[in-house]
Amino acid sequence: MSDSAISQRVGKEKMLRSRWVGYFLAALCIIALPLIFNDTYWRTNLTICAINVLLALGLDFILGYTGQLNLGHSAFYGLGAYVSTLLIVKLGIPFWAAFAAGVAFAGLAGMFLSLFAVRLRGHYLAIASLGFAVIIYQILLNWISLTQGPLGIYGISPPPAIAVGGAVIADFRNLTAFFYLVSGFTLLVYLLLDQLVRSPVGETLTAIREDEVSAASLGINGAAWKVFAFGLGAAVAGAAGCFYASFVGTLVPDAFYVNEAFTILAMVIVGGMGTLIGPVFGAILLTLLPEILRGIGDLRLVVYGAALTFVVLFMPGGLVQAARMVQEKLWPGGRAS
Amino acid sequence: MTEAAAAERPVATGTAPLLRAQNLHKSFGGVHAVFDISLEVPTGSIFAIIGPNGAGKSTLLNLISGIYQPDSGSISLDGQDLSGMRAYRRVRLGLARTFQKIRLFKQLSVLDNVIAGFHVHHKIPAWQYVIHATAFAQDRQHCREEALRLLEFFGMSARLNVFAGELSYGEQRMLELARSLATKPRLLLVDEPAAGLNAAEVDVLLDRIRMLRSRGITVIVVEHNMDLVMNVADRIMVMDYGRHLFQGTASEVQKNPAVIAAYLGGELS
Amino acid sequence: MTTTIVLQQAINGVVFGSLYVLVALGLTLIYGVLVQINFAHADFVTLGAFAAYFFMHLIGAGYILSIGVAFLVGGALGWLINASIFTPLRRRGNELLPLIATIGVSVMMQNLMLTWFGPIPYAFETQYSSQVIRFAGIFVSWQNIIIIAVSSVTIALLYAFMKFTFLGKALRAVSQDRETAGLMGINPNYLIMLTFVIASALAGMAGAMLAPVLVLTPFAGTSVIVKAFAIVIIGGFGNVEGTILAGLIVGLIESYTTQFLDPGLIDIVVFALLLLMLAIKPTGLIAERREENV
Repeated sequence: MSDSAISQRVGKEKMLRSRWVGYFLAALCIIALPLIFNDTYWRTNLTICAINVLLALGLDFILGYTGQLNLGHSAFYGLGAYVSTLLIVKLGIPFWAAFAAGVAFAGLAGMFLSLFAVRLRGHYLAIASLGFAVIIYQILLNWISLTQGPLGIYGISPPPAIAVGGAVIADFRNLTAFFYLVSGFTLLVYLLLDQLVRSPVGETLTAIREDEVSAASLGINGAAWKVFAFGLGAAVAGAAGCFYASFVGTLVPDAFYVNEAFTILAMVIVGGMGTLIGPVFGAILLTLLPEILRGIGDLRLVVYGAALTFVVLFMPGGLVQAARMVQEKLWPGGRAS
Repeated sequence: MTEAAAAERPVATGTAPLLRAQNLHKSFGGVHAVFDISLEVPTGSIFAIIGPNGAGKSTLLNLISGIYQPDSGSISLDGQDLSGMRAYRRVRLGLARTFQKIRLFKQLSVLDNVIAGFHVHHKIPAWQYVIHATAFAQDRQHCREEALRLLEFFGMSARLNVFAGELSYGEQRMLELARSLATKPRLLLVDEPAAGLNAAEVDVLLDRIRMLRSRGITVIVVEHNMDLVMNVADRIMVMDYGRHLFQGTASEVQKNPAVIAAYLGGELS
Repeated sequence: MTTTIVLQQAINGVVFGSLYVLVALGLTLIYGVLVQINFAHADFVTLGAFAAYFFMHLIGAGYILSIGVAFLVGGALGWLINASIFTPLRRRGNELLPLIATIGVSVMMQNLMLTWFGPIPYAFETQYSSQVIRFAGIFVSWQNIIIIAVSSVTIALLYAFMKFTFLGKALRAVSQDRETAGLMGINPNYLIMLTFVIASALAGMAGAMLAPVLVLTPFAGTSVIVKAFAIVIIGGFGNVEGTILAGLIVGLIESYTTQFLDPGLIDIVVFALLLLMLAIKPTGLIAERREENV
């Protein structure tokens, strides 16, 4: 093997090791956080954070990696929440089975929507997804016999406790345990998406996003991959919905109004779309910031809107771009990718 | 120059043509872009399509590569009918193309652009896209080595990590060719490859295309540049207003009065 | 009896339909010339409505005049958003970034208005809303008549402008082929700005006319924008005739759904129609396909 090939190998292994170090640190943070912030208020915030990260990851996979502007992510969030909850509450189906059903339903809905607009210009999908989110919201609101509409569904239980041989390991009524469950799941989803993105699948998706006609000339079936990515992203949102329902215990349609989709969009864009890690921080920032700056509580949404506009105008790569710029200033002379 | 080129040219064998198109018609909003075009491209040859601007050459290429479907007529690749087959499916049959307006993945590096071309050739079981085990690593290694070889063939070894958007025009052309070759085509469609290249670059391009032919790849070239066409093509088809004007060898084309008339004031010399 | 109801709802349908057309025309004009969508368009409607309201109630001016004010406010907003967002982003060449930026603007505007004006609906009463004419058993308020009159005149003027004046033809030229239009001495930048101003002025004006018949809150725009988008897609992006037709159809569908089904179902019906259109003929009722240049 030539010298350059050897140094490539070594460089790659270094990157690999640093990536796993990153995961390890993330796991440590997750374990430590609820122990550091041991009041209900902050633990609640952290859990909402984790749910929002999940939502942002799903949307980034759709928007950032295949370039499909999905303005209706809230619909899949809501579908996951309602489908799983209704199965549990009305049919008595066990939690994890209902969870799987909610995720699958949301995923299929995403694929269905993507199929509609797959060969059309991006704007068509944007509007269709918005319309879809409005329809879902109206259905949740108006189909009272099924969803109880604005009155909501009450008394939703958290996931059943995990017990081994009579001894309870994890009781999810405990806030900390629930947080570990959600963030653990989120970390796994991140890992899954990250692995996909670092495989030829990631190259394929990037190719489609960059230039679909060009990608087709390389044998890539753009339509199929876009539908797949949309389905996966929507399924992830569905999972977030399931967790949300069992976390908050009460389910009302208003939690899934179209504005929620814009909030998630802001998290992805502010974090840096198409990077996976960016939206993680975008979600954390936009979830926690209004809590930290208490005074601006009412202006929270104005801040989201402003952040969205200004990031697009002045730093379209979001936090990740900002971080890279800082890195360049401090350690100049890095190489491409 | 012509003598040496003739000596190098492999004798066309009596095998069936690799590509056969029959009576192709394509209109856009009432305007015939391609009218009753038929052609046969022998395996292992270089076939050129020339004609003035608006002659329908790019449309014809788009029909062959599958971006457009013909209004009527048929196309077959090695006996297999391509009717209704979308563009991306034709790649698996061994059909690759480049574009007149360069369509590279500008945000990816040179190397990554070529690696993207291996899409149809990955041998990785589905689960290994998530859990990167042995087959995954082997495939990555293999793709990388192949990509390096292709880039070396096109003289781009020094520019591996440069973003495609930062290359010079000539380099972008070469990269596009390298990438399309990653799909391991039997038939390569090249759309106006010499546009925007200087004389030296055109020479290198000519050379590469000849080398492709000697490796058994059939090439269809759409071109304006007469030097490239006359010195490299085994057979030339001339189009005008979407119609077939003439077909023959380079010298036959140069002498044909109808062709000269069509190019009146144009580039034939 | 039923005929009266049908006719009554037809009038309502035309009233709302013509307002939707005004809003949707703006969107479609912008798309025609720039191939972009201003997501904050509907918030221009809302802001136009509030401008008219405050102009009337603070200065005590007449209603018709306040419609004119809303028109001007809308135009100013249009100029502003073009200058600050669409023009700078045009150099980047990304198709979807401007839309995302305007989503941010929309969210900002709505919530700023919420902070300034509060969530409680404003009662926008004009002297015309209560005066009603009656014929053949149908009730038509003067408000409705004004709406129909002003809208039809505006739409007719716009249509004539597009078809017969030089500027109008230049606008159509730019929407068909911006480069060539530029080569022919038409300044696309100027025309794009003009388009934004006209489009947003229409939106503001529509807001001033909508407010008395709808609920005036900072979120009034949202209920309109989604329908406006639906109309633009059903009518065909960039297609003026199609948008007019689609707007009236949606207005009529809306009133009949309210009458014979359930008001809550309006959005669902309109969007189901939208999705149906996308599945069958995505380029709209009348438009032709634009082949992508390869």
